[in-house]
Amino acid sequence: MSNDLKTELRDQIIFIVCFIAVWWIVAKMGIVNPKLFPTPGAIGQAFITAFAKNGMISFVGYSMGLIVRGLVIGIGLAFICSALAVVNRHFYAIYNLIVSIMDLLPGVALLPLVICWVGIGEATIIIIIIHSIIWPMSRSLIDGFRAIPNIYVESGRNIGLRGIRLVTGVYLPAAFASVLSGLRVGWARAWRGLISVEMIFGTTGTGAGIGWYILMRRVNYDIAGVFGALIVIIIIGIIVEYGIFRVLERNTVKKWGMTAQ
Amino acid sequence: MMDNYNAKPVLQINGLTKNYHDGPNSRDIIRDLDITVNQGDFLTILGPSGCGKTTLIRCIAGFEDFEGEILVDGKAVREPGIDRFMVFQTFEQLFPWKTVKNNITYPLKMNGVKDRDELDRIAEEHLELVGLAGKGDLYPHQLSGGMKQRVAIAKGLALNPKIILMDEPFAALDAMTRNKLQAELVKIKERENATVIFITHNIQEALTLGSRVMLMSKQGEIKINIDNDIPKPVTPASEGYGEMWKMLNDALWEEDESE
Repeated sequence: MSNDLKTELRDQIIFIVCFIAVWWIVAKMGIVNPKLFPTPGAIGQAFITAFAKNGMISFVGYSMGLIVRGLVIGIGLAFICSALAVVNRHFYAIYNLIVSIMDLLPGVALLPLVICWVGIGEATIIIIIIHSIIWPMSRSLIDGFRAIPNIYVESGRNIGLRGIRLVTGVYLPAAFASVLSGLRVGWARAWRGLISVEMIFGTTGTGAGIGWYILMRRVNYDIAGVFGALIVIIIIGIIVEYGIFRVLERNTVKKWGMTAQ
Repeated sequence: MMDNYNAKPVLQINGLTKNYHDGPNSRDIIRDLDITVNQGDFLTILGPSGCGKTTLIRCIAGFEDFEGEILVDGKAVREPGIDRFMVFQTFEQLFPWKTVKNNITYPLKMNGVKDRDELDRIAEEHLELVGLAGKGDLYPHQLSGGMKQRVAIAKGLALNPKIILMDEPFAALDAMTRNKLQAELVKIKERENATVIFITHNIQEALTLGSRVMLMSKQGEIKINIDNDIPKPVTPASEGYGEMWKMLNDALWEEDESE
């Protein structure tokens, strides 16, 4: 680990420790309602209870199952449509317009419509997740594809690549920095979409996710439990960032010397 | 020339005219050009800036639309293909996401060579040919500019195209590296009996490399087209170098003043 990274990590750890300490002092001083502002200890307890007694694993599993399905379909569609936009000028014009319009529509705003058309069920949640990832992902991809240096495209054509082979062989790796940022944005939006929808219509009959869990803690006036669930979400976010995105970045754009882009 | 006794034309250009038509008064970049290049020729094309030499080589490579006819082994050129490999001037022509070795094997894989051992063998052989044995596992960003151009040449040779097109590939290199690469290119060309068209604005380079030297005018026409009989390796001390150099230099000056 380089010195810069060590300093960064040290600063971050000091910040977290101080943050928890201040939180603890404020909670202990008794100036706020302990029910609304639980101590770090109570939150930690709620976090453990969430797993030990309340079956948090199954809530997490259910949410993750939905999000993974939504992500796979959304990313796949974004790739296919963006690739077609590279190959075909007319498709680009139309798809660019669609992305610009749809990217502005919050998934939650579409929910009533989706419920009317599809009903309340897993399909509805997955549609909202797809909606929340496909447009930002497509935006990153088509902008990234258009920004790649022309020399890569000509080098690719030079060795006989055309159409879809040019997209997978040249455009995709050349625009990988954009692909990564698209994945990050898409993942974050998908999480938001998922949690909102879970809170709005709760269980789907086949299962319940973290959004539903948070809502139930609130209904039971268990604010420590709400915080416990938020920590679960934070931990999942950290695992995805450091376990997937950073690893992916290190093994691609960083290794290729393409981070300056 | 003796070695062209049995030569057959690899490239025939008939009445090539190129105009970008990007304005009401857009002029022809290239005007009614005829060129024949035989198997094993090393044709260097000289010309002042803006004479259309890069446009010409891009037409041959298939990157541009044009009027007239370009035939490679009798087949009309309409788009890029692996029968014509282009080495660009920029150092960024290698794919940064592939190792040096994979930059060489990828085009082969995409064109039907599937056997791994065969691919490894071709890559190693060609890396050695350009003096980069053992560098196959590096990524392009770990190489110097000169090394990148060597890899680009190795990549082209490995594909075994009918013609290798070179658009000032050494222009951005320092003088020492450039001289070294010129000498190596002459040797490699002899060994592989490749057919090369090499664009340059440098008379020394044109005479060092070319078995034939062409000079293009500002109007996009061929002004001089001569065999370069100076025996290889060519140095400024070679017999006949001085006269050739002066003749080409005068012609270039004349072009410069014709403005």
